[in-house]
Amino acid sequence: MITINNRDKIEWFEGMTVSDVLKKMRYEYNLISVHINDDYIPDNQYDKTTVPDNSSVFVMHLAHGG
Amino acid sequence: MSKRMIDVLVNDKKKIQVAEGSSLIKPLLEAGIVIPTLCYHKDLTSDGSCRLCMVEIEAKGKRRMVTSCNYPVRDELKVWTLTDKIKKHRKILAEMYLGRFPNVKVVQDVAKQCGASDKTRFQSDITDYNEKACILCGKCVRACKEFILEKIIDFAGRGIKRHITMPFGEVDPHCVGCTYCSYICPTGSIEVIDDLNNPFDPKLIRDHGMKVNAEMATLDSGQCCMREVGTANIVEVMDRYDLLPVHNFKFGSHPDTPKMDSMVLRQKYFSQEQADACWKGCSMACAKAVDGFKLKTGPYKGQKVVVDGPEYETSAGCSNMGCFDPDFVVEFNFYCDTYGIDTISMATGTAFAMECFEAGLLTLEDTGGKELKFGSGDAVLECLHEMSRGEGFGLKIGQGIRVLKNELKKKFPEKAQWLEDIGMEVKGLEYSEYVSKESLAQQAGYSLAVKGPQHDEAWLIFMDMVNNQIPTFEDKAEALYYFPLFRTWFGLMGLCKIVWNDVVPADNAKKHPPQVAAKIPEHVENYWKFFEGMTGKPLDEQGMLNQSARVHNLQRIICLMMGYGQREDDMPPYRAVGPVTEEEYLSREDRYDKQLQDNLNVDPTKLDLQQKMELTREFRYEQYNKVIDAAYKRRGWNEKGIPTIERLKELGIALPELVGIIEKYQN
Repeated sequence: MITINNRDKIEWFEGMTVSDVLKKMRYEYNLISVHINDDYIPDNQYDKTTVPDNSSVFVMHLAHGG
Repeated sequence: MSKRMIDVLVNDKKKIQVAEGSSLIKPLLEAGIVIPTLCYHKDLTSDGSCRLCMVEIEAKGKRRMVTSCNYPVRDELKVWTLTDKIKKHRKILAEMYLGRFPNVKVVQDVAKQCGASDKTRFQSDITDYNEKACILCGKCVRACKEFILEKIIDFAGRGIKRHITMPFGEVDPHCVGCTYCSYICPTGSIEVIDDLNNPFDPKLIRDHGMKVNAEMATLDSGQCCMREVGTANIVEVMDRYDLLPVHNFKFGSHPDTPKMDSMVLRQKYFSQEQADACWKGCSMACAKAVDGFKLKTGPYKGQKVVVDGPEYETSAGCSNMGCFDPDFVVEFNFYCDTYGIDTISMATGTAFAMECFEAGLLTLEDTGGKELKFGSGDAVLECLHEMSRGEGFGLKIGQGIRVLKNELKKKFPEKAQWLEDIGMEVKGLEYSEYVSKESLAQQAGYSLAVKGPQHDEAWLIFMDMVNNQIPTFEDKAEALYYFPLFRTWFGLMGLCKIVWNDVVPADNAKKHPPQVAAKIPEHVENYWKFFEGMTGKPLDEQGMLNQSARVHNLQRIICLMMGYGQREDDMPPYRAVGPVTEEEYLSREDRYDKQLQDNLNVDPTKLDLQQKMELTREFRYEQYNKVIDAAYKRRGWNEKGIPTIERLKELGIALPELVGIIEKYQN
């Protein structure tokens, strides 16, 4: 099980990447940043970085707009 | 989003990774490899004009020389940066530069890097002995075009007569005097001879302005695309996160949103070939325009007009009225602008009237025969034209929700609570276009805003609802302290908000922990430096917040004088807090049921719909009251929402005339 933003839970699977997490959460936003267990993950590593089971993933959406 | 990373082997030993499509020079420089250049700048498009950055590459078995500044990496390759061939090429080229510009320091420095020292070999009639000679690197031309989106200066003449100039060699009146050509000039050839507004430290302002411009030029296209579509891009984001107001804020998304989102506007409507701006020289240039739009209604029917917009709030106001036809959005935008009517108040007020019409509280007789249902774009435009003439039902909408609501409450006393619940106004101002139901902090951000529920004091939905960054009441209160004061501050300074968070430094999230990153510290610092550059007075966070708090508290007291500054004036209509109708509850039933289970430990399967809605309402208002208690405390206001005399003393504004107004509310 993965915890997202200290609140939402999603099922973990072997080989799960950051991109899989974002897809599952339907986080389709350009201004986001991702930390796994407090480690920052650069956006060009989302496809390659696997998320360990029981991780705490923080996906920050930065506000923008008027 | 993420680009493919390609392996590049440098000088037979060092392996680096380069994002597909990137040029070679940047990663080479970052890897500590010396690449001489006169025309390259990390934030500008490379044009390979100085030819000094040549390297040898081998790709797909083929070896050749390329300019590293503009060679796009597509496949794995080997690079050699200092072969005999490269050394020879650079040395001859550097001697040619030295022969033409012998006294220019950057040329001397580059020549040294290339092992060139002979100033005479290529000396000729065109040798320029000026220490500040223009070396034709073209950085100024590209800065003007890419940072400021202008073409004030460019190359003219051919061969040895090539030079930088404004059109026809005259001072171009379109030049806004941004001075970035001078800032970026490596030789001092372009000098600023006058500083408008007499700033204390123009360089400090330029240093930080340059950062903003460079970020816009290099990052915007991968972030918010403000130069391409402006704030219209927020429509699809809000729809995706269930935050786009639909049918008077009942819902947060709609299947028809793609009909009018920014993709449609970009492809079919926004027609000016370059980004538009509030003022010439703005590097963000997020304002957009539609050219040649043929109007279907009103006094200008049949005429082709230019429409400034639409921006997010206008489009979202249209979804709030259930109108998803982009032609309608543009026409609505045009006539609101032409008549001087705020699109937000018009849309939110009309959405309220539509819901009343659908509920039977307003009839065809009231509306002058207009079927004012959700989605009735023609009826909306008729109301808009009536409003401009000060007549008919349009005039009623123009008087605002509070007036219309009070009239209907008298006529339908049994519906008074429902009207209070769905009339989306606080302090007499209509809500701007975000659904705040799932963000407690945003509910308070809206209703505590001094002018009424405008998002420009605090937009906290993502921090609160999506990121869960401010989970406790105290966290929310802190956000409700900092952000309204920060946003009030740059409004007071006449600085635009958009350059704070509509482009973000590439390393913002890497450099700062999330709570700090949300403030975008580098951009807050830019504002402080602009202030310091103009006034000579350094500023920090506390200084900024105190400057702002003086005005913010004064505004709150003025609000009180006008009859809007107490706790009861900060109470939102229930539609901003939770689901008013059965239809609303049922549309998000899973969410609300889960919240009953999680927050109140209640089994929703054992309750009927009415009971679930009542419990939800009770819980949500209780939470709201707790959050404004915490926010008042953090702001130095008492439980009635009145600034305390101690707070005014702290801020140095305990003037007798202000204390006289608030003292009767102190106990």
